Amino acid sequence: MRRFQLIEPDSFDAAITALEKDPGAKAIAGGTALLILIKHGVYLPETLVNLRKIRGVAGITFDPKKGLRIGALTSLYDVERHPLVRERYPVLAEACHVVANIRIRNLATIGGNLAHADYQSDPPAALVALDARLELSSSSGTREVALSDFLLGAYETVLEPGELVRAVLLPTNEPGWRGAYLKFTTRSSEDRPAVGLTALIRMEDDRCVDARLVVGAVTPTPVRMTAAEAVIRGRKLAGDLFAEVGSIVERTLEPIDDLRGSASYKRRVAGALTERALERCIKQGGPQ
Amino acid sequence: MKRPITTTINERTRDIVVAPNRTLLEVLRDELGLRGAVEGCGVGVCGSCTVLVDDRPVSSCLMLATNAEGRTITTIEGVSRDGELSPVQRAFLEQQAFQCGFCTPGMIMAVEGLIRENPNPDEAEIRDYLSGNLCRCGTYSAVIAAVQSVVVQARAETENSRPAAH
Repeated sequence: MRRFQLIEPDSFDAAITALEKDPGAKAIAGGTALLILIKHGVYLPETLVNLRKIRGVAGITFDPKKGLRIGALTSLYDVERHPLVRERYPVLAEACHVVANIRIRNLATIGGNLAHADYQSDPPAALVALDARLELSSSSGTREVALSDFLLGAYETVLEPGELVRAVLLPTNEPGWRGAYLKFTTRSSEDRPAVGLTALIRMEDDRCVDARLVVGAVTPTPVRMTAAEAVIRGRKLAGDLFAEVGSIVERTLEPIDDLRGSASYKRRVAGALTERALERCIKQGGPQ
Repeated sequence: MKRPITTTINERTRDIVVAPNRTLLEVLRDELGLRGAVEGCGVGVCGSCTVLVDDRPVSSCLMLATNAEGRTITTIEGVSRDGELSPVQRAFLEQQAFQCGFCTPGMIMAVEGLIRENPNPDEAEIRDYLSGNLCRCGTYSAVIAAVQSVVVQARAETENSRPAAH
């Protein structure tokens, strides 16, 4: 691998200082995305700031008022296995579980996954559906940004130079939510998603009172299917409605072509996944 | 600039000096002479460079060696005891769970990781856990049989070691 300088701060603040001093420096956490780019010669950094040796930025806590807080350096495997995530936000556990393979999930971090902003990734679509917010830190303080505002495009975020993702925050969920994350791959089971779909619905008796449908990996950032969501709200969820909602997703989605599928193919897959995800929500019951 | 790190490799504490751009795989193979982990794809897809870091499988081709600092690394060279193969290694031999052998060190380390985390996995859990370790000879069903035989054996040993009821 090409040489680079590696700064190894032992605190989050020291990492921010290092990044501010050298505007060309970039942060590296798990390294599973960045090292591949460096090995392939796509990205050739002069200086990287290693976040991996910083203690106290990993871990998951829950506060009934504030919701869930996931430290940015928590590995994807720790997110997927954590009892709080599995009980309260199972759709996030599902989305993390299908990333690559266990070896990558043990290295990759949730903060790195979001800051890297690769559109062909599973966790962002689930986190956008869950209304995740990010805590960003820099020398001028801390700010909170909704994930849907944080992601600007493929590999593009609102992060300023010298600013780092410190935590992922999920609001406390009201009772009655159910959810599913479905991943569709076109090359191998551990490939990046060709299409990823998150469905969350909130039921009161047998009626759906709220819904969120988010498609990932088809557009530069995860996209909410608001027209399809509007059709679900207030309705009884049954066979005909699944197909109707699926066809709305198929008609309204505007995917980009890439090597994992053409736009028209991805559109049809997203429609089919919508139907399947809603069916699973109904069958499974339980919380998100 | 190279930096000194302290890490535990196969139960031995080592003080080593690593360059910032070296992966754990490169340091294990080229500097420590531990050539069991091999490079297949170099991008975390194939699993032939799998080692355990704090008992969890990782792709050593995508881990910077400097991050081994303070960690416990286990490679294929470290799973046998006093010249005796580990139960997983024995099961791979008994079930002929390899052909050319290139993927085998990584495959065995992934299984070691699985058994350490979940000593009693069912078939679906085995398949799910190992789905990222590729074998181009196609020995998958024999690998699963090997894991199942380790699980059955471990369960039998636990039951035998229980004191007999009076």
